[in-house]
Amino acid sequence: MAEHILESISLFLPEIALTVTLCVAIIADLILKERNQNVAYVVIAGLVITTIFVLRQTGLTETIFSDMVAVDPFAVFFKIVLAVSGFFIVFFSMKCRELDANKKRIGEYYMLIVAMMLGMFIMVGATNLLLMYLALELSSIASYILAGYTKRARDSAEASLKYVIYGAVSSGMLIYGVSILYGITGATDIYGVNAALQTGDFSPLALLTAGILIIAGFGYKVTVAPFHFWSPDVYEGAPITITAFLAVASKAAGFAMMIRFFKVSFIDTALLDTAGVWDIVEGFQWNIILAVMAVLTMTLGNLVAIWQNNIKRLLAYSSIAHAGYILMGLVVLTDQGIASMMLYFVMYLFMNFGAFYIAMLISNKLDTEDIEDYKGLGYRAPLVCVAMAVFLISLTGIPPTAGFIAKFYLFAAVISAGWYGLVLIAAINTVISLFYYVRIFRNMFLIEPEGDTSKIEFSLSSKILVFALLIPTIFFGVYFRDIVDLAQASVKMFGL
Amino acid sequence: MDLYAFFFYFFAVLTVGSAFVVVFSRNIIYSAFALMFTFFGVAALYVLLYADFVAVTQLLVYVGGILVLIIFGVMLTTKVFSVEMKTGTLNLLPATLFTAIIAGMLIFVFSATDWNVVPDQEWDTTVYGIGALLVNEFILPMQVAGVLLLVAMIGAVMMAARDWTKLKSK
Repeated sequence: MAEHILESISLFLPEIALTVTLCVAIIADLILKERNQNVAYVVIAGLVITTIFVLRQTGLTETIFSDMVAVDPFAVFFKIVLAVSGFFIVFFSMKCRELDANKKRIGEYYMLIVAMMLGMFIMVGATNLLLMYLALELSSIASYILAGYTKRARDSAEASLKYVIYGAVSSGMLIYGVSILYGITGATDIYGVNAALQTGDFSPLALLTAGILIIAGFGYKVTVAPFHFWSPDVYEGAPITITAFLAVASKAAGFAMMIRFFKVSFIDTALLDTAGVWDIVEGFQWNIILAVMAVLTMTLGNLVAIWQNNIKRLLAYSSIAHAGYILMGLVVLTDQGIASMMLYFVMYLFMNFGAFYIAMLISNKLDTEDIEDYKGLGYRAPLVCVAMAVFLISLTGIPPTAGFIAKFYLFAAVISAGWYGLVLIAAINTVISLFYYVRIFRNMFLIEPEGDTSKIEFSLSSKILVFALLIPTIFFGVYFRDIVDLAQASVKMFGL
Repeated sequence: MDLYAFFFYFFAVLTVGSAFVVVFSRNIIYSAFALMFTFFGVAALYVLLYADFVAVTQLLVYVGGILVLIIFGVMLTTKVFSVEMKTGTLNLLPATLFTAIIAGMLIFVFSATDWNVVPDQEWDTTVYGIGALLVNEFILPMQVAGVLLLVAMIGAVMMAARDWTKLKSK
């Protein structure tokens, strides 16, 4: 056992690096005192080391800590996505003026971001329901606190409280579902669950109940309807950096865990005749439930987004809609579907962070989140607004941007699995989404500025960050061969 | 009815009954004290399941720690007896329906399912086994739980201490 644990530790270095970063951040906060905004550099250094460890894991397919965690291409892919988004969030936070409201606690703020990342890193690799739950709680608890970080008291406190209550209810549902699943299978690791389910010796109703409860728990994390209620309020109230982090990284980790859980435990491995296409175990048609949820999520997200005037709230609903699109990839039960979901996350990271970052820059300068105040901004801050336009076009899914490639591969995967109706609904939704994305665009460029028409200047480092997001958004729209290959190669999970 | 079943039903009724008081009482002190009986009842149920370690932990952590904190928190809050708590009931009909459906479904599932049960046997003590598992197979969840508690603690301090600087400047 001791040898096994030691071996496991050598394959667990990214997470250990994050844990060490977390501890060092706490100590650095104590030492630096008044200059505690420098904790950000500690965190960046920690993230660099973590990323190096993650990259060294490429190509491995192992299970560690007595089948608790899998180190496989799937996990590594998501860990890279998470690490990249972690870098961006730390850079955003260094620029964000909203956070100045609670300057004294900025050290803890960075520490909690690391804690959230640690939780998400474990989420993407966990193969045991117990550890999945713990990791989910770790990242959730850190995000509850972060959502209530700013002192612009009312909004932020309300967001945090709502988040805690919804989070508690849904994690209660998740753990209840897990306990029922344990009751019928007698296993907590997902391979054991799968083996027990394949004997077919269980009552389908109990499995259905467990499945629905577990979907509710996961659904809350990835904000799919009808478990999305918390997200608009939380996204609006939380500091914008945290909103962006929740909308991208937290969703990616939640989806990764959900994909692994469903793909490993609820499929029939005896029926894997066609390569890349899997079948469901008898008795629980979970993909139908997910399909209904996907349709609900994207339609609701898009229809409500039309009426929003607050940019954060609009982007919150838009990210709910995107969760709906992404969920389609899991419904079709093919490796192609999973690969297109993973591809979507890469593209989504850049374009969504881009939109949030520009919203943050504008809010830094003009102290507004109202879309009506964006009128004429295209003349006052041309570079930033053109970048915003590109991000919005990409979010809609129009070529030649990354968003188009992401949607193209996702829709293609759904079509080739024969779910035409689903694609049709998604396509209609894409058209609806154009409406509200264009509204921001129109306010920025087609309306002359009123009142103050002075140019708005941004610092060089802000511009560099804009380009760091803008270039991939355009680049992946034109040259996408390698990233598609990478996503397709990373579908491989341990034990399948 | 044998003695075991008698004790089981006794503690089950105690747990559920006092949980009702926790939820429905309008006086927060009554709720807090009723919570003690709920925790205690759950601990007793663990004992009946031969889960001695969990039962003791339940008593130490929940009854001995968390509950005492809650009661202290309530007592230290001024005007706790005079302030009318806002405990309205909203959406009575849909909530009742929803709860009834879920309760019905769960009860049906629990009675209809063929559960995977561990054969009845008399256990000695579980502490040694749990300890061995926690440092072998389950070492990772234990460590993660440790980090989780650290984060929760720092977060709680951060939330509670957020206004000190403001108060000082006033």
